[in-house]
Order: sequence, then C-alpha cells, then structure tokens
Amino acid sequence: MMMLQHGSTQLLCLTASSGVPLFTRGASKQLPFSVIGSLNGVHMFGGGQGVVLSCCETEGGGKVVWRVFQDSVMLIAVGGGGQCDVGGGKEEEVRLQRLLENVWSCMVLVLGQDELTNVRNVERLKRDLRSCFSLIDQLLEENQEGILGNLTHCADSLLPPNPTLLQEAVDGFAQAADSEFSCLTVHGRIAAATEKWWRLAPQEVVLLSALIRSLSASGSASCDYPVFLPQGSPTVAHRLLRFQLLPGADVCVLCGPTPSLHRAESGVVGSFWTPLVETLRDCLAVGERCLPGSVPLRPDVLALLLINRETRRSVSCVRTLANHPPGDPSLPSKSRCWKLLKLFYIFSTTRYFTQEETLCVSPEERAQRGNTEDFVLGLSHQPLQCYLVTEECKSYGLQTPQHQLFLLVPLSVPTFALRTVAIQTLSDIVAATGF
Amino acid sequence: MARECTEKSISLGQTEEEGAEHDSDSTSSSFSGSEYSDDLEPEWLDHIQKNGELFYLELSEGEEEAALAQATANQGGATNHVRFSEKEAEIFTEQNKKHRCGSQTKGAPTLKKLASILRRKQRPSQHRAGGGKDGSKDASTPASILKNQPGQSQGVRVRQLKEVCVYLNPKRLGGSSTPLSDGGGLLEALLGVVHRPTWSRGQGDPAAVRQKERLTVHGLIPNSPAIKCGQILIGDVLVAVADVDVTSENIERVLSCIPGPTQVRLTLESVAQVDDSSAQARKVKAAPPVSQLVRLLWGEDTVELQMSIGHIPHIVLYLSLKLDSASPQDEEEILYQYPLSEASSQLKGVRGIFLTLCDMLENVTGGRILSSSLLLGKHLVHVGYWKESSNLLVIGLPADIVPLLYLQTVVGDVVRTLKVMYGSLDSAFCTADHAPRLDHFFCLFFQQLIQPSRLRDVSSSPTPKVSGTLFLDGLPAVRWLTLPPEIKMEVNSVLSDFESSDFGEMSEDFLGLRRLYVILGSCLFYKPYLIANHLPKEDLLDVCLYCQHYCLLPLASEQRVGQLVIWREVFPQQRAQSNASALHCSQPQRRHFLLIVGLRHFMQCVLLEAGGCAAPALGSQGPDCVYVDQVKATLLQLEMLEAGIEERLNAPPAPCLSCADWFLPATTARDRLDSLASSSPVFSKLAGAVKGSSSTGSRGRSLFGEKARRSSPQRSLSDSGSEGQMDAGSGSGSSVAPGLSPHSTPESGRKLGGRRDSLGSGGSDGSGGSGGLFKIPRMKHPNPFYLGTLKKTLTEKETEEMYNTMKLTSGAENTLFHYVLMETVQGIFIAPTHREVAQLSGSIHPQLIRNFHHCCLSIRAAFQQSLPARGRRAADRPQPGGWGLGPVKEHGVLFQCKPENWTDQKKPAPTMTYWVIGRMLLEPVPQEFYVCFHDSVAEVPVEMAFRLSFGLAL
Repeated sequence: MMMLQHGSTQLLCLTASSGVPLFTRGASKQLPFSVIGSLNGVHMFGGGQGVVLSCCETEGGGKVVWRVFQDSVMLIAVGGGGQCDVGGGKEEEVRLQRLLENVWSCMVLVLGQDELTNVRNVERLKRDLRSCFSLIDQLLEENQEGILGNLTHCADSLLPPNPTLLQEAVDGFAQAADSEFSCLTVHGRIAAATEKWWRLAPQEVVLLSALIRSLSASGSASCDYPVFLPQGSPTVAHRLLRFQLLPGADVCVLCGPTPSLHRAESGVVGSFWTPLVETLRDCLAVGERCLPGSVPLRPDVLALLLINRETRRSVSCVRTLANHPPGDPSLPSKSRCWKLLKLFYIFSTTRYFTQEETLCVSPEERAQRGNTEDFVLGLSHQPLQCYLVTEECKSYGLQTPQHQLFLLVPLSVPTFALRTVAIQTLSDIVAATGF
Repeated sequence: MARECTEKSISLGQTEEEGAEHDSDSTSSSFSGSEYSDDLEPEWLDHIQKNGELFYLELSEGEEEAALAQATANQGGATNHVRFSEKEAEIFTEQNKKHRCGSQTKGAPTLKKLASILRRKQRPSQHRAGGGKDGSKDASTPASILKNQPGQSQGVRVRQLKEVCVYLNPKRLGGSSTPLSDGGGLLEALLGVVHRPTWSRGQGDPAAVRQKERLTVHGLIPNSPAIKCGQILIGDVLVAVADVDVTSENIERVLSCIPGPTQVRLTLESVAQVDDSSAQARKVKAAPPVSQLVRLLWGEDTVELQMSIGHIPHIVLYLSLKLDSASPQDEEEILYQYPLSEASSQLKGVRGIFLTLCDMLENVTGGRILSSSLLLGKHLVHVGYWKESSNLLVIGLPADIVPLLYLQTVVGDVVRTLKVMYGSLDSAFCTADHAPRLDHFFCLFFQQLIQPSRLRDVSSSPTPKVSGTLFLDGLPAVRWLTLPPEIKMEVNSVLSDFESSDFGEMSEDFLGLRRLYVILGSCLFYKPYLIANHLPKEDLLDVCLYCQHYCLLPLASEQRVGQLVIWREVFPQQRAQSNASALHCSQPQRRHFLLIVGLRHFMQCVLLEAGGCAAPALGSQGPDCVYVDQVKATLLQLEMLEAGIEERLNAPPAPCLSCADWFLPATTARDRLDSLASSSPVFSKLAGAVKGSSSTGSRGRSLFGEKARRSSPQRSLSDSGSEGQMDAGSGSGSSVAPGLSPHSTPESGRKLGGRRDSLGSGGSDGSGGSGGLFKIPRMKHPNPFYLGTLKKTLTEKETEEMYNTMKLTSGAENTLFHYVLMETVQGIFIAPTHREVAQLSGSIHPQLIRNFHHCCLSIRAAFQQSLPARGRRAADRPQPGGWGLGPVKEHGVLFQCKPENWTDQKKPAPTMTYWVIGRMLLEPVPQEFYVCFHDSVAEVPVEMAFRLSFGLAL
C-alpha cells in the first residue's frame, strides 16, 4: 500500500521545463514513474496558475518538498516519516529543504552551472550526473556521526592542541602551491585553513569538506579533482588537489592549472608536512572530541555543538561520560546523541534562533524558504536561550551575538542548573581556544 | 433609574395606557395592547427558523449596564435578593399558567406581570397585588416596583428635545421578516416607528392626506432599530433625521436617501418628567455604536467585512474526490466554497493540486495529507486538509496569521465545530440550504482570524492579538474563573436545581406527560469565564467550540447583551460515537439539543437529550418555552451573585502579577509601585543576570539558590526560613499577627509532598506553606514563601501590604508576569483575568503577553507532537507522528526585550529578560502549565505549577 518505507528519503531530479526525470536517489525501492510524474505535475500546474507549491505534510510525518533551481532543474524530496529517528513536522521539512539546497550545490560543484542550465542533450546530462551520485548519497544517508555542516552550513572544525604551528604550515603550503586556498582536515573536519578558504561561501566550505571526505574515503594517497564553486565560480572550474598526510589527515589546495599533482606531491607536500608528523598525530588523537584536552568540559555535558556565527565554523562532540558506564540505559547512545543534537539544532533554529543564511540569501530564495520562518517572525521579542526536557535527556540552546551553543545534558542535572552549565561551557571553550 | 431605561427601550406595550394619556389616537394603532396582550409570546418566537434553530440576540444598552453594575455595587446583595426572590416566585406561577393552562383566564393577569419581568418588558401592571401602583405607567420595572416610587407618573411633564443615534440598514429591508406594511412605508420598515396619520384614524379629512403632520410615535416595531436603541418612546415626536426637519410629508423621501448601513441621528421631541431629568440627561447621550461583532452575528455587513480582507488569500473549499468523468461539468467537484474574492479565486484555481496530492500522497507515504504550503506572489499560504469519506475539506490561511505549527489545531477545531453543529461534514456541506449559514459561519471564522480587532468595540479592552486568541482558543479547554467557595457552592446548587428538571407544576411529570427532554447538564459563563460546569468534558468542549466560534463569550463581556436565546440541534462528538455503536438498539435515536440563554453577563448553555428516556424528537423541533424560561429564571436567580463575582474580578490578582515595564529602568519610579521600587533587587540583578549562579547577593537567591538546593534537596522550609527574622514554621495559631502564621495545613503539605516531581528541589517543600494561596485574597496570612518580608529595609506598613498579596515566585520580588494553567481532564484553564491584565498597563507588557501567547503556540505544539496520538484525530491516525526528540516534558525560552523608540544615542537601550516556560504534567493529573516570569530569580517552574494548581480546587 505504501510506496515509500518509513524513515527513508527519496530524491527526485527532473528537468524543470519538460519534466524529464534525470535521476532518483535514496530509498531502496524507487517510486513508480506515475507518482514521480504527478509530483512534478502538481508543481508545474501550480506554476502555471501563479502558485508555487513548496511543501506538503502527511500524517505520520511524511513530507514532500519541491524546489526549482535556476529555472532548469526541479528537485523533489520525499520523506517517508513514521520512524522515530526522523524529526517530525517542521524539523523534517527543514532537513529536506537543506538537502535540496545541498544537492543542487553539489551538482553545480561537480558539473558546473552551465551544463545544468543549458541542457542540450538530456541523455548526456543524465550520464554526467552519475559522477555526483557518491556525494549525493553521502548527503542523503547522513550517517556520518559528528558531521553537522550539511545542516548548519557551518564548517565542521576540529580545534587542534597547537593551532599556530598548523596554521603556519597551511599558509606556507598554499603559497608554495601558488594558491591562496588551502586547508587541513583531520577526521573529516577542518583543523586549519588559510584565511581565503574561510572566505569562501559557508556552503562551499561545507561541500568541499564533504567532497574531501568522500575522496579521502576512496583510500587514494592523492588526487586531482575539478570543482566549480557554486557561489564563487559556478562556471569556471578549479582544481582541488588532495594529499593524504596520515590516515585520517588530509591536506587540500584549491588552485588553477598549475602546479601539477605530481609536482605538488613530490615537491611541496613533503617539505611542509614531514616536520609536523607529531603535531598531526596529536591532532588525530583529539579525535571526535574536536576540542583539545586542555579545554575543561563540565562532567555533565553529554554532547555539544558550538557555532561561531561570525566565522561560520562549528565544533561538535558527543562524549562518553566518565561516571556513567557506556551501557548505562538511562543515557542515550552515542548515535542517538548525534541525532538528538541535530534535531535540537533544527528545533531551536526554526522556532527561535535565526539561521545565518536568512540574512544573506536572495529575496526570492528567502521567499521559498519563508515557511520555515513564519513562526520566528511572529515573536515580538528576541529569544536568547531555550531548553527542552524530554524523556531521554535535557537540551539547552543559547545564542549570543557571536556564538550559538547547543548542549545535551543527562536528566540527572536539575533544570535550573542548565543555564549555568551552558554559560560556563561556552566561556570555558572560548577562553581556552579563542574559538 | 437604570432599569427604567431598558424597560422603556424594549417596551412595546406602553401603547395602551401611555398612548391613551398622551395621544388618544393610539387606540387604533395596530400595535396597541390588543395585539400584544397575549404577552406570553416571547419576542424570539418569530425568529425560529423552519428547521427549529434559533439565534436570537438582543442588545441592551451599554450605559444602562454600566449604571446597573454601579447600582448593584452600591446596593449590595440584600435588595437584589429580595427583588429576585420575589421574581422567582412569580416566574413559576406565571409559567404554570402560561404553558399548561394557557386558556385559563383567571391566571392571566399574574402571568402577564411575570412575563414582563422576565423579559424586562414594560407592561402595564394592572393587577399587581398591592394595587397601589396601578397608575404607574412607565416605571413598572422590578426595581422601581420594590422601591415604591410613587407619583412618578404625576410628575410635571415638559417637552424636551433629545438626540438619538440609531443604526439603519436599508439592505436589511429585503431579508427582514417584517413585511413592508402598507401604510407605514420606510418609517416602519426601516426605522421601526409606527405613525398613524390622522386620516387613517378616520378623524381627518381624506383630502388632507398629504398634509404636513407631526410625526408622533404611536408604536414601535419589534426588533427594529428604533426599539433596539431604546430611547425612542411612544409619544415622542420625530422632529429631524440627520438634522433635516421631517414631517409626515417628507419622511419617506428623507429615509429613502439613506444609501447603505449607517448610523443616523434622530432628533425627537419627548415628554419628560421634571424629576427625571438625570435620566433624561443620560438618555440624551448618543448610544454607543453597535459593535461590528454584533452586526456580524446579526448577519449584517458580512459583505463589507469580507471585502476588507479580500486581498488576503484565504479560502475554504469542500471538494468531491469522486469525479464523474462521464459528465465533465465545470467546477462540478466544488461542493462548497467561500469566499469569492480575487485572492481566493487563485487558490480555487489550483484545487487540482489539492485533489491530486490528497489522492496520491496517501499511497506514497502511507498517511493522509495534512497540510501544504503555497506561495501566492508574496503571500505564503498554508493549506490544511481534512478528508472525510470521499470528500475533502480544504482551508487555506496566510502563514503570518496561522503558523504551520498551529494550522492543524485550527482546522481540527473548525471540523469539530461543524460536526457538532451538523453531525458530519457531508451533512453540513452537501445540504443545499445550508449554504448561507455556512457562509456566515466561515465569514465569522475568517474575520476572527484575520482581523479580530475589527470585531471588537473600540471602547472595550485592548484588542486581543491573533496569537493570543489562537493559543487560548486552540486549547482544548475553557477559561475558568476561580470563585470564593461560598459563591461557587451557591452557583452549583442553583444549576443543580435547574438540572433536576423539577419545574414544579410546569414539569411534564406534573401533567403526566413524558418528558420532552432530559437535561444532560449545563454550564454557566459569566462574562467570558466559565464559572460552573456540570457537563462531561467532551460535551463541554463541544459547547465551548460553538460559543467560541460565534464569539458568544466576548459578546457577554462586552456588557451589551439584553437577551440571547440560541437553540439548535447538536451532535456532541462523544455521544455521536456511542450513538453510532448502539444503532441496532431498539431505542429510538437519541437527539441532542443545545440551548444557550444569555442575560447580561450571564450565559448558560444547556445540553438536552430527546429520545432515550425522554420523548422522541420528531422533525425539527423548535425551542420549548418552558425550558427557555426555566433557564432564564435560573439566570435571574444567579444575578444576585453577580456582586460577589464582580468582587472576585475586582480583587487584586492572586497570584499577583508584575508588569513588565516595572523591570525596565527606563520607566523607573513613577510607574512603579513605590514600595517595590525602593527595595528592588532587580535593578542590581539586571546587570549580572547573565552570570547565572554567581549570586549577586539577593536574599531570595541565596536562600533558594542553586547551592542550597543541591546540598540539601530535602530541606524544609522552616530550615531556610529560620535564617530570617521570622520563623515561618513556628507561628501556629496567631493568625492575627502578620508574619507568624504559615497557614499550612498538614493535609495540604502532604498533598504537595506527594505530588512532588523528581525534579522538584527543596523549594517545593516550601510550597506546602502556601496552602491558602487561592483562598480569598483578602485573608491576612503571610505567605511563608514570601521571603521578601525578611528584608530589614521594609517598614512595617509595607510589610503588611505585602502580606495581602499572594505570589507564586520565590525570591524577594514578585517576578510573575503571566500564566496559563490547563487541567486537561476537566477541560478548563485558568489565566489572569482580562481585568487583571488591563491593570498592568504599560508599553512593554502587552507586547510581552502577545509574545508569551505566541511562544506558547510553539511550546504546546512541541507537547502535542511528542504525545502519542490521541485526542481529536486519534481514531483516524494510523500511527503516531514521528517526533525525533521524544516526549517533551518541559520547554522554556528566554526572551530579551528592549523599550521601543530608544532615542538616547549615548547609552545602549536597557534590556529586560524573561522566561516563557511550558510544562506538561501527566501525573497525578494531566496538566499543562505555561508561565512567564522575570529572569532575576532561578525558578523551578514545576513548583509554580503545583502552587498554582493547588488553588484550582474544583
């Protein structure tokens, strides 16, 4: 009876003008063609009447979200809902909206905007789009623990124990490779990057990180990958050179025609990074905590997500609490914590806190996403903090002009102490790392 | 005096005597006593529709009400009591005669008198027992009867000019039930004034027909503008209309010039009594304009109101999913639509989307479609769906009015209201002659949502904002007013008396007949508050949804209801289900009827059942006069309690509330209560508020601060209290001395202790001491929680003053701004009364309350989403909606506000931070609690919830 399994998400891509299906990803069973056709059809019909259909909700948390990009590509995401690890209502909608944005940017990143907007040969486009699938699947699955950038559009970062050494190395490496854009990733998170790298659009930084992760997962020692920057240069390709320094640590550089991969690998990488092997090992040891050991974290913080609103970077971690055995049933599991952290982030940002992009996106894009803001705009005063007590844990969100902090703490912490915990955590991290 | 005006205003029957005295011609008037001598016919009788439904609303005069309220306040209960008890007795006798032996001539005189009192109509009371007042013509009001105002009629009469404003609507002429009487023309049809020219009375020369003649008022037409305004009396002479002099010659022309609904000023020459000058002076004042709401309820102005929101996209559609493709007629699938504006036609144009999505998505995701969001130009519109059998109800509303979070509640409420009224959506929409009624229904619906302020009187309390009404109306509960126990008992016993159906000689038992109806229960509203309820929760909600939809509650608080009688068949949802399951029963089908009677501020809703034990109802039954009159009698009986209830409303709020503006340094001492300002720790705390637990030296904080709580979570109040000068636990019996009696009964202590949540900290032990929290606020016992009294800086007088108030928050200062507590089981909620809120005027405070309500929408949505499916849509839902975060128990948001228009460039605007916290309790009784308080004290909201709910003893 039901075509889509609970909890699965299917992504449909069609040409906006003619409705020719380009690809579908996600969910084990593909939706029947007639359904795909109707889903596209209702949106097109509305468009003809001056009505833009943007999303739809069904009982049990099912969601459909439509979006047309550049008048050329129609993306439809269908969320099955129903399961508990999927957010309900609004949260799910935001997740799908974000997914569509990311998928589009991802297609531009790989293929360039020209090829997507001026479709001459649909069959060829279909073939070309296959090269995006690995990246798109990665976005769809969302099974990477500790990576929240797809959602927050803030680069997942790792704060190394000795940042200045690494910063110098990255700057020097970029210069030697004739580029201004370079970054060092550890466990898929950015440990250090050149200033120009941070100046890329937040979404680009996040997507490049995702690309680096998927390239690094392939296991090769180095690669040379052409990329378009969705905002910076959607039509002119750059080269992304990636070198594996240690397993889990990669360095990348974004450059023009020169230098060649081989020259860079043989000449530049070794000279800059060999002396720093020990430092890199220290970085790797930080692991998923993302924060150097010198940062004191209160013992009762289960998980945290800290966003720097100015630099658009984020740090997140889920901890195994020392005083609770790992199998303690009263505490949510690690993967559940990540899930809860994500959901709480969406919950807070859709209802109370502003998401940063809303300030920089174009008006029509803003209108398309308007329904995620209808509640925030109705508030007459500025929300600063919020908390949620559920059966599993307590969550606390806090917003200052510079930071946003989201915390999960165990139920044993009294509610009135949450605020203190949050404020102290924020000040501890900021004081220790200058994040 | 006040009463007098009303009596006159609604009077018809003065004609006989007054007419005889002032104008001997009146005997031939068609509206003379002979026609109305059968006074038993209630005035609403003409308004009963073919299907038996009745919606009769008659306004009384605002000023009259005000005066009356004043009078009651002055007189106190005693006189009232006498008056009403007399009345009550009379009522019974009257009705006996009226209904059972209507033909009896013997009882008729008594009857007449009583009927007149009941209906507050002035009747000549020829047969009054005392006999001494036979001559009084225009003063036969209950009040004046008792007060024995002799000689009033003998007062010197002088001619006076008075100006009266009436609301005239020429458009109403067509639909009006009053036929254009042959002789009266517009004067009768439009204004409702009967004037018999001399020629028709056979005294004058037929040739002089068109002669100029003064327009003496010989009679008034029921329900006409003239009678509604209440200031046009028989015997008056109409001199001018809108400053144009009128006579019998030009009156028709002048009146025909009135283009549309408008307010017209009439100048009348009246006979006045010299000793009555004060009353006259009052009468001269222009009548307050009839509020838009009332006009909307009367079915006027709907077009105009709807036009004003025509540019905002909104629509309701009822679509058929079964399309007969053989006969593809245009728009055949639209079973109902409203409104027909331009913006809505665009939405209508895309109904294909709604139908397709509804059809398709169920197969894709396995759940029915709930909502979709569309972008119409710049407007974002949320569309809610409700599928029933093979039809689909679609409601589109702009996103800035109803956030998506709350759309389902709104749609669910509309659907339930329709089901209560019509049984099912199909029977509501698919019956052809329902269309105009549905138009009216949805006009009200959209008007209330989109421009609620236009429906309210300008003069009435600050216009409620959308999110406020959205939140409160969306709660599956009714606003409750806590009353002092003795009043509550009285109210309940009066209601019980009524519900026992023991109508004495009036009852069917007495006559050996089968009962017409079984009274299932009733509930009583005073102003917009529920004060007594004898209905099961689901029935109460059904009734309340109906009242909400027709704005009956705000109406009652606007002080202008003269008489309200509503009768209709209803389909209570709970009973409908059980009815359906017992279909094969041999019993005749039960049918239910809702009777709502309102008199001034009181409104009683009665749910009646026909079939079952009572006689089966056949066809479309209209209201039965006995029942209506019995309810009226009950209400009149209850009016003696009005003073007590008003006193409760006027009492200082308990728990006491603070105004947000007091906490902003910008508005310092002037606005602030002096006693609080001098000793306020809040200002000092504002700066350091962000520092959290770093105690800034406030007493309250140090006592209840984090540290103390942690170290000894079971710490009792007397421990902490003993740190101060006063030991709250030691004062045992001496309730006279302030500050020594904790007023803590063992029972209350146990109760609270048992309720304590695992979260509860030491502080909640202390709440046992505030057992008397909700008792009569004047009681002078200290609240042990009120540690502010420990302050040495306070003078004794101030301390005493502070004892008079109750406070929910801990700490030195009252920091509570607003609260809502909902008892899920009983379907009621309490919140500060309108008056309490109105007292806390300020620039920030209304904003804060608006924000509070808006935030509560989100909090409640989180509660709802996280709950396993239940409630309104429970049966339809296949599985619980996914909510990733798991069941939410408590949710809070901290807000910051700044004064608007901060002009000082040098200093940053001062800020004030406050919490809005919602908590859902499932144990021991399901409750939802929403509270808004200042940030300065670390509160444990659960404690506040307990303390508050403790006062809600039902």
